[in-house]
Amino acid sequence: MNVIPQLILNSIIAGSIYSLIAISFSLIYNVTKFFNLAHGVLAIIGGYTVFYFAQILNWNIYIAITFGIVFAGFIGLILDKIIYLPLRRRKASNMILLVASLGIMTALQALLSILFTNEFRTLSRNINEQKIFQLLNGSLTQTQVIIIFVAILITIFIVLLLFKTQFGKAIRAISDDDEVAKIVGINTDKIISYVFFLGSAIAGIAGILMGFDIGIEPTMGLNLLLKGIVAVIIGGIGNVYGSVLGAFVLGFAENFSMWKIAGEWKDAVAFILLIIFLLFKPRGIMNK
Amino acid sequence: MIKKEILLQLKNISVHYGGVKALDGVNLELDEGEIVALMGPNGAGKSTILKVIFGLVPLHSGKILWHQKEITPITYEVVQMGIAFVPQGRRVFSNLTIAENLEIGGFIVDNKKELKRRIEEVLDIFPVLKRKLKLKAGSLSGGEQQMLALARALMIDPKILLLDEPSLGLAPKVVKEVFNKIKEINERHKTTILVVEHNIKSLLDIVHRGYILDKGKIVFQATSNELRQSDILEKVFMGKLA
Ligand SMILES: Nc1ncnc2c1ncn2[C@@H]1O[C@H](COP(=O)(O)OP(=O)(O)O)[C@@H](O)[C@H]1O
Ligand SMILES: [Mg+2]
Repeated sequence: MNVIPQLILNSIIAGSIYSLIAISFSLIYNVTKFFNLAHGVLAIIGGYTVFYFAQILNWNIYIAITFGIVFAGFIGLILDKIIYLPLRRRKASNMILLVASLGIMTALQALLSILFTNEFRTLSRNINEQKIFQLLNGSLTQTQVIIIFVAILITIFIVLLLFKTQFGKAIRAISDDDEVAKIVGINTDKIISYVFFLGSAIAGIAGILMGFDIGIEPTMGLNLLLKGIVAVIIGGIGNVYGSVLGAFVLGFAENFSMWKIAGEWKDAVAFILLIIFLLFKPRGIMNK
Repeated sequence: MIKKEILLQLKNISVHYGGVKALDGVNLELDEGEIVALMGPNGAGKSTILKVIFGLVPLHSGKILWHQKEITPITYEVVQMGIAFVPQGRRVFSNLTIAENLEIGGFIVDNKKELKRRIEEVLDIFPVLKRKLKLKAGSLSGGEQQMLALARALMIDPKILLLDEPSLGLAPKVVKEVFNKIKEINERHKTTILVVEHNIKSLLDIVHRGYILDKGKIVFQATSNELRQSDILEKVFMGKLA
């Protein structure tokens, strides 16, 4: 049997999830210029919110999903309001913001473990009932098809938002020069808080999709975040298209290397790729 | 003679950076329709005056009055009041196109049609930008970037325009062009303009009056004619002022 078609499909699925994390991570990075390490755990919070409402409280799954997305966004917004914004106002350095976000990540992850234990949870109640699609001699579950579509839709949405709306132009202005953005009359704190909501909600979507696809556990956030960061760096920091491209390069590199080497090495592949880029193309694929 | 209305007034303001006194009891006022120079050596506190008006640095003591009413400046509200600021160093949004820079300059303009009309209007004053609307601002020459920064500030149709060293790093011929534009803006729209410069005599040709700032204090104020004839500028810049 030829494994290449399946490898390609697996790469695309991984790339789709990574691109959701990478795009939303860079959205927040671009306006704040710090590495928000709590971003990955917000994805997992999205997943657990759906788990709680759909499986523990038995709510309608679509309502639970909507709730999960909004809740992840809301937590992002609150974190900005009560922690990052006050730090920015005090002119805290990016290093301080990064350390603060590391603390938040650790605390939120611990909270998830306390509330839901470290047991692996899946959001699809009956995996065997999922429709399987055949494509290019490989197969995809219904969830995986949805993952790919959602990634495409979110990417298009973000590109349109950034380039066609006043809000998006304000985001790009802030990422270019936040002081001048203020000077032209943009309430930058407000725009940044919306970006936190939006970025965290997109992370929540990624976490929920993962929950339906392979399942989630509290510690997965860090790994997911690191993949997102690697994608952002190899794609070129600050560039949306770069983030998506980086995510797919990473997805393909991971899955195709698994073809020849043992699965334990999967995570190492991301970091080997990162080191190669830092050495030879530190500004990433899309940046000159 | 009819007394023109005072638009903006700084009363005895002081600003500290940590332990450093950057401004020490500064009084300054801007009336309707005038161009005012603010000159002084590096580190005198010129930029700080503009920043404090714009809420970018906190006031230590003193008052800022807008139409005789005391205000606590918050940057985006100051813009809504009708004050525009072109900061030092030609800070255009270099990854945005010229057109986007202008749109962002008009960020507080809600009406799409009005935004379009204003873009047309400022392009009328700066025709060099017209052919380059789709280019990234980062690709412009220094002089063009300064023109864009000015054009961007005009997008709010300001009552007061604050300019921080618009001539910095520009060739003398371009400086003259920029100063002519400043005069044109003032004449066309009756915009009150405060121009900060280090030491450029030719600025006195376009302004009505001026202040000289040294070590955080206003040391002299006079009409442009008086300033031209006095040797105060030489004294300040040679460090000969007691
Ligand atoms: N952010 C800052 N932190 C500390 N000191 C500053 C800061 N900005 C300016 N200063 C100091 O305040 C004084 C006035 O600076 P500034 O207003 O930029 O002067 P000018 O524009 O006349 O050259 C200088 O001594 C400068 O070193
Ligand atoms: Mg200055």
